[in-house]
Amino acid sequence: MSGKRTRESQARTEELRYTLHQLFRNPLVVLGLILSVFFIFLSIYVTKIVSPAQFANPLGLQPLLLGSLSVDPSIFLNIAIYGGIAYIIQRMYDNKWATIGFLAVVFVVLYTPIPQQLWIVNPDGPNQVDFTQKLCWSNSLINWGTQSTPCPAASHYFLGTDDYGRDLFMMILMAIPLDLAIALEIVIISTAFGVFLGAVAAWSGGKVDEILLRITDIFFAFPGLILALVLAAVLGRNITTLTIAVLIVWWPTYVRLIRGQILAEKSKNYVEALRSLGLSSKRILFLHILPNSIYPILVQCTLDIGGVILTFSALMFLGFSPSPALPELGNLASSGVTYFFQAPWLIFFPGATIVVISLAFNLIGDGIRDVLDPRLRR
Amino acid sequence: MIFVLFGVSLIVFYLTHGIPSAWDPVTAYITPKMTASQIQAIRVQHGFNQPIYLQYFYWLRDVLQGNWGHAGNEASGFPVSQVFAMRFPFTVELATVGTIMTVGLGIPLGIISALKNNKLPDHASRIFALTGYSTPSYWIGFVLQLVFFYYFAQWGLPSLPSHGALSQVLDGTVPLVTRMPIVDGLLAGNLGYAWDGLLHVILPAFTLAFISLGYLARIVRASMLEVLRQDYIILARSKGLRERVVIYRHALRNALIPAATLTGLFLAGLLGGAVITEYIFSWPGVGQLSLSAVFAGDANFVAYYTLVTALIIVVANLVVDVLYIYLDPRIKY
Repeated sequence: MSGKRTRESQARTEELRYTLHQLFRNPLVVLGLILSVFFIFLSIYVTKIVSPAQFANPLGLQPLLLGSLSVDPSIFLNIAIYGGIAYIIQRMYDNKWATIGFLAVVFVVLYTPIPQQLWIVNPDGPNQVDFTQKLCWSNSLINWGTQSTPCPAASHYFLGTDDYGRDLFMMILMAIPLDLAIALEIVIISTAFGVFLGAVAAWSGGKVDEILLRITDIFFAFPGLILALVLAAVLGRNITTLTIAVLIVWWPTYVRLIRGQILAEKSKNYVEALRSLGLSSKRILFLHILPNSIYPILVQCTLDIGGVILTFSALMFLGFSPSPALPELGNLASSGVTYFFQAPWLIFFPGATIVVISLAFNLIGDGIRDVLDPRLRR
Repeated sequence: MIFVLFGVSLIVFYLTHGIPSAWDPVTAYITPKMTASQIQAIRVQHGFNQPIYLQYFYWLRDVLQGNWGHAGNEASGFPVSQVFAMRFPFTVELATVGTIMTVGLGIPLGIISALKNNKLPDHASRIFALTGYSTPSYWIGFVLQLVFFYYFAQWGLPSLPSHGALSQVLDGTVPLVTRMPIVDGLLAGNLGYAWDGLLHVILPAFTLAFISLGYLARIVRASMLEVLRQDYIILARSKGLRERVVIYRHALRNALIPAATLTGLFLAGLLGGAVITEYIFSWPGVGQLSLSAVFAGDANFVAYYTLVTALIIVVANLVVDVLYIYLDPRIKY
């Protein structure tokens, strides 16, 4: 890993160091980072205690197809996230022990079981449906001023209960990993799609490029949410098909972005130089052009995590949930529409959670974009 | 452009007619009283038993002749274009007011951000902008309703209406010319009517503005920062012009070019109907209608709606490109 480094990779490390330095000077980015790390760790923590499939369907209303791809943050996402951070550490410090140490800590955090005394989520609790405690509010700190029923004296719910009599706070805790995992999954798959098709378009040019561009044009002309709605209506209601619906709406942006990036890089002198050295185009593309255009892609990804959560939860909110009992932020909010002025917390807290999660990632993305914008760099 | 619309029609047709298990196109033509053999006859008559690519060409032929079929799930429905035209003015009204609010709030916010770059106002406006950007529209719509409709009424303050485009008592008191309550009220000289329409549009329009002004503000900020570094601004300053003149007369006019094009695209997007906002505020626009059409499996309406929206977006893109040449004489094609 360490040892010999090309001048190009040194320059890239310098740039990374500079970027991170600039980035951490912005208090809002630090806030965003803290929040998003918090949500990611919360998700890991919650999924370690309760598996999503376990709490997803308390009433047996409809069979859920929670595909392993959809809600398994443990393998797919961890590799992407921690691999990325490990890569940055390796580049920054050029020290393989720092990287290995980081990965070891991550491994320990991820795979040590949590002692039962520390569980705040009772793995059976959130599942318990109790209609006698339906839509009650017992937190005296907030007075909604609505005709809300107080909870039975024995029980105390921090954020009230939902229409199944479940603790809303717990439901939000369980919903966060689901939403985050789906958002990351959609963004990562779209990026992979975009890198592949964008590279094909930019590299082959001519007719192939034209056709791919026109296809993305078609998708841009579509009203995104309606396309997702129609797809969801046609494909059926389960988490995998909803994910696919959002994915179909999402990929064209990435193809456009990455194509543009590659074309911009392709016309630079160094590519010409590499070509004249006799390097294959595949090698130039993957080892030189893509690493150099990674930042704008990264910005788009971070900004899109919030966007995907918004779109996905909007689908759920509008009624495409596989089960009304599924703890998903949009779905929780959706059940609140019926009890609009009776139980406002039911729509307020899940929505506010979406705002905070999405804001966290947007703060980071906006910060990176600011640092990277060459126009603002002087 | 033609290619894009053709592609959209292909996808829409396949989604709405091509997947047999999902939506049966024949439902638009039958009534519950029909027998199975009658339904089969209609199926044959309309060609629904033929291969999908042939059906597409039949459909395309009808559509190009202006025959889009009937809306709704039963034969009693009106032609979809008529249903669309009845609801579209409401969406136009909401989109226009929403865009005005977005521009009115977003551009000043962007300018403040740029002038106080990396100082407190910049951070504050950045947080505000990004919060809007990351807020689900149903959530902000709900909060607005809770505060301005429910709580204001409880506190005895004048509260804003939370749903619909017009109070029911006023329905039918002025002749419907454009079907937009505000415009109709003004045309008939009935100010109370127009005022009522305006009150109804405030909350949904602000919801739309809140979620989209952040993006606009960020764009204005970036382009303003860029323009302020240009040589001609330094020249203007060294001429001894007052700072206000430099900013508003020299810098702002160029900095607003990207904002103008973005605004055009916003408006086009909103004309396609703000589905969630219309749903939350029970706004009688096309967005809400399309949502119920999707739920009802109304293939004809969904196809019509999608193609019209795509047409609006494609035309808006074209207009924006032309506008760009007009606004920025440096650009030549």
